[in-house]
Amino acid sequence: MTELKFERIDDYRVRIPQQGGMRVPGLIFADEQMMQVIKNDKSPEQVANVAHLPGIIGHSIAMPDMHWGYGFPIGGVAAFDETDGVLSPGGVGYDINCGVRLLRSDLRREDVAGRLDELSLAIYKSVPCGVGSRSELRLTKSELDDVLEGGAAWAVEQGLGTADDLEVIEEGGRFAGARPRDVSDRAKDRGRPQLGSLGSGNHFCELGYVAEIYDHEAAAAFGLEQDAITLLIHSGSRGLGHQICDDALHSMLKASSKYGIALPDRQLCAAPLASPEAQKYFGQMACAINFAFANRQAMTHFAREALAKFFGRTQDELALRLVYDVCHNIAKWEQHEVDGEQRRVCVHRKGATRAFGPGHPDVPARYRELGQPVLVPGDMGRYSFVLAGTGGAMRESFGSSCHGAGRRLSRVKAKKLASTRPIFQELRERGVFVRADSKATVAEEIPDAYKDVADVVDVVAGAGLAKKVAKLVPLAVVKG
Amino acid sequence: MPSGHRSIDHTADLALEIWADDLPALLVEGARAVLEILTDHATLTAVAERTIELDAIDDEDCLVRWLNEVMWLALGEGFLLVDADLERTEVGLRGRLRGSLDARALVTEVKSATYHDLALVHGPTGVRAQVVLDV
Repeated sequence: MTELKFERIDDYRVRIPQQGGMRVPGLIFADEQMMQVIKNDKSPEQVANVAHLPGIIGHSIAMPDMHWGYGFPIGGVAAFDETDGVLSPGGVGYDINCGVRLLRSDLRREDVAGRLDELSLAIYKSVPCGVGSRSELRLTKSELDDVLEGGAAWAVEQGLGTADDLEVIEEGGRFAGARPRDVSDRAKDRGRPQLGSLGSGNHFCELGYVAEIYDHEAAAAFGLEQDAITLLIHSGSRGLGHQICDDALHSMLKASSKYGIALPDRQLCAAPLASPEAQKYFGQMACAINFAFANRQAMTHFAREALAKFFGRTQDELALRLVYDVCHNIAKWEQHEVDGEQRRVCVHRKGATRAFGPGHPDVPARYRELGQPVLVPGDMGRYSFVLAGTGGAMRESFGSSCHGAGRRLSRVKAKKLASTRPIFQELRERGVFVRADSKATVAEEIPDAYKDVADVVDVVAGAGLAKKVAKLVPLAVVKG
Repeated sequence: MPSGHRSIDHTADLALEIWADDLPALLVEGARAVLEILTDHATLTAVAERTIELDAIDDEDCLVRWLNEVMWLALGEGFLLVDADLERTEVGLRGRLRGSLDARALVTEVKSATYHDLALVHGPTGVRAQVVLDV
């Protein structure tokens, strides 16, 4: 592709005008300083590439935490027309339904003061993490099929949570349309021992506290009080999701050629939404989505048990309640207003979070007046944010917002930077106790490897895609 | 040309550049590069054998599917590839693999080899490829 043209619209928006084979313009949410960094990698080109796909509606969108991915940029959002549009496994990613959940508690900072070292160890021992990590849950083949259909609802039926949890999980923790019979044996073999495990890479389980409240009404509704202890869990569908993506990419490459879809990047391979190939992938993806919901639910249970034991109190006394669980790698059918009319569209979010505004029927009743909670983790040394979805997101980004800080350094550069520094000690001096299965993972995930998530959040708030509710600061982090 | 590989910087993931005399040698070299990542350059001794057969649309697809097979064998079955005799068939790839069974050598996971920015070129002096891994 020839050099891309950019047009700054305002302080928070940059347009990539339609050029070459783009069917719609690109729209990047970023300030000028971020744009200078973003232009250093190939992610803007990826925004333009996504705009080539048939049936794309409005804009090919990217959030301010965008960075170079494969196929779609990380931070990409694209909606497709029901009739002319396509479904692309590369627009969902390998870690299908990678997502974040936040729990709040009645514990306060003073309850954990001086005990973080042992507390981090207690969490580390309770939540299986690291390469090929597996939990004590042992599933038969038919039980795995039940997980793939039932999601977090299956986990709750097994006693790994409460019905109350399900009310505050995107899709109620169970995504409709799962077809376990279409999932390969290898994907099932990869997933079966891994339910209830964190994995490695950027996944984590993080104990923190509410450091600042920006919107008192929303924070109260979300159960977040100043200095209250919180728990964030970031993980996905483990090897099962990765294998489903692999399987689908291979068949979608053939489908793209069969349906005459020109691809600027093979990783964008796709099939028309109504085609048997797309419908098969949708059913497989639904299985991985449900596996990830059940996975995060099982780890929540392990963490609740560990904290109750640690503090010698019941889970009810700790009131470790789920605030919300969001997906950030997913494709879904949703209703959105397009050119003044309500349309059913297939929204792909890859490294982007749903951010439905106040009044939307898919926002849990208890939050409906305020907007859906949006969870935006930062790096392990600084802070994370809780936001709420807005009407602006509904109008401009198919109800989507950012999903994290976004990488600034490659893993190789981060490791090199970390190699001469006492990372664990540095983090401890900041008040963060880190436990990890692999030192190499921590080196790749050092705070310096990420953008400042506060800058990312300021852009989505400034652009009106979400409003700031609270800031969380980490105290104890478990990594794979 | 002798086989070789190097890492190329990529913000989110890891890209590999691989070169060799021919496609089978390139595939073996790519697998070694992946094992270096998974084990952080551990020394592995072959003690077991496996055979594989997989289908592929073209050489590029063959590279991606082969690397994913190698990762599955390591992370899923604890078979860490050391060497292989490979044959590109009309429908894909066939091979006899030799590897270690010491899964404790694994220090990290890689989700998949991807089709993004994938390139494989046959030139007068051999084959050269680039592949991005999703880590």
